[in-house]
Amino acid sequence: MDPTIKDFESAIAELETIVRTLEDGDLPLEKSLELYERGVQLSRFCHSKLEEAERRVEILNERGEVKAAPASFGADEDERTR
Amino acid sequence: MPSDFFSLPFEEDRKPASTSPAPERRVFSVSELTAAIRGVLESTFGEIRVEGEISNCRLWNTGHMYFTLKDGGAQIKAVMFRSAVRNLRFKAEDGQHVVARGRLGVYDPKGEYQIVCEHLEPRGLGALQLAFEQLKQKLQAEGLFDPARKRPLPSLPRKIGIVTSLDGAAIRDIIQVLRRRHPNAHLVIRPTRVQGEGAASDIVRALRALARVPGVDVVIAARGGGSIEDLWAFNEEMVARAIAACPAPVISAVGHEVDFTIADFVADLRAPTPSAAAEMVVTAKDDFCARIDRLAQRLHTTTRAQVQRRRAIVHALSARRGLAGWQARLAMRGRHAAELTHTLRRAATALLAARSRDLRALRLRLESRDLRRRLSDIRGRLGAADARMHSAAERSRHRADARFGSAAARLESLSPLAVLARGYAVCWNADRTAIIRTADAVAPADRVQVTLHDGEIQCIVEETHRHGSNH
Repeated sequence: MDPTIKDFESAIAELETIVRTLEDGDLPLEKSLELYERGVQLSRFCHSKLEEAERRVEILNERGEVKAAPASFGADEDERTR
Repeated sequence: MPSDFFSLPFEEDRKPASTSPAPERRVFSVSELTAAIRGVLESTFGEIRVEGEISNCRLWNTGHMYFTLKDGGAQIKAVMFRSAVRNLRFKAEDGQHVVARGRLGVYDPKGEYQIVCEHLEPRGLGALQLAFEQLKQKLQAEGLFDPARKRPLPSLPRKIGIVTSLDGAAIRDIIQVLRRRHPNAHLVIRPTRVQGEGAASDIVRALRALARVPGVDVVIAARGGGSIEDLWAFNEEMVARAIAACPAPVISAVGHEVDFTIADFVADLRAPTPSAAAEMVVTAKDDFCARIDRLAQRLHTTTRAQVQRRRAIVHALSARRGLAGWQARLAMRGRHAAELTHTLRRAATALLAARSRDLRALRLRLESRDLRRRLSDIRGRLGAADARMHSAAERSRHRADARFGSAAARLESLSPLAVLARGYAVCWNADRTAIIRTADAVAPADRVQVTLHDGEIQCIVEETHRHGSNH
């Protein structure tokens, strides 16, 4: 991932700023296109993050261990833990 | 016991032998008597609490509720007016054991006395209820319910922590909603008891444990519906404080919509049901998606608009006279420049090639020359020059000789000696520094010298005569 983007929240905040700047300001064309490119990059980042998480159901037990939940809880076909 | 109440009807019997004159027998009207009774009842008892079982309970259309309170030996009619009914936390039903708080009253038309209830409290739960109210007030005073404390849910939860029982319907409801709406959800469930002894401390430990799992950025504390006793763990102070201390925002989802617990007040968000809690988490993500899409849309639109505006300006400019065809001209210029560059480069290349060719030829010539041949050549040239010079000198001498001969002859003819030989003489002054050319140059007795062609004569001037004039 692009090292200049910290996380979704900062990405979306930057994207918002860019869009507002583009909409408000009468920027030179070069600057506009530069911002546009950055904006596209940011929105791609956000979308990729949205798809990144994977479906998982886990159980945190008394000993602080995280294990896959029994299949009955909607986890994928994992081994039953109880 | 209030004396007035009992003294009135039995006065006659208890004081038959009163020494005072027999009081005038007063006859009350029913209304008067009833009014008197009401006065006595109301003033005597004031606000009272009565414990008993509810029976014959009816809620009228007016909103007032009528019932009977009874115990093993007696019963009393009771009424609760609409305003008080509205404040009841539970639905009053026959068979419930309650403590009623109210005042005694008399219903004149029927001659009945009854208790007018302000409040009903289920017996056995009163202490809890009181605890609830007390804790609520205490935490509120501390600012734990302050809206400013409420944290927003993450736009895109990485891991959703869940504190609940694995046996209840709550967890299944949550998973079902998430599966339907947010297929990528990552859940971390910390199973706990949610009711009974030790449930509260279980919940506290679960909240703390989930807070330590990396990536958990929202926590749902859930429990399905139940009686107020069943939900009680969520009304305990330690649970409230653990929720407040949780680093991730907490959604409380306890019981049904109508059930409120202390946890609901402290939580960052209260969900009416566990399913609703899951919906809230998902909605935050949906909102996030929509926000990105809207932003991306605006990004494209505004940029396209900007480019089009520029293009329009360029078109307008190129349409103007004087600027018409500037693009073509610019292109021509560009091509011209390119051609010039090309020509220049070609010329430079050619020049360089020629120069290096020259250099090569020079070097060849330099190397091919034989030094000795050049020397003999020089010598030959020197010899020839020498010979030429010699003959030239010879010729030059002959010429000089001839010139000399004629010059000598001419010199001979010009020599004064030759003239003297013919009889002429030269007269000099005494020291022979000047020739005397005029008679006036000497005076009598001056010495003069006369040169002849073969010698000198020393003379003294006796007289001077000028030709043509007498002196």
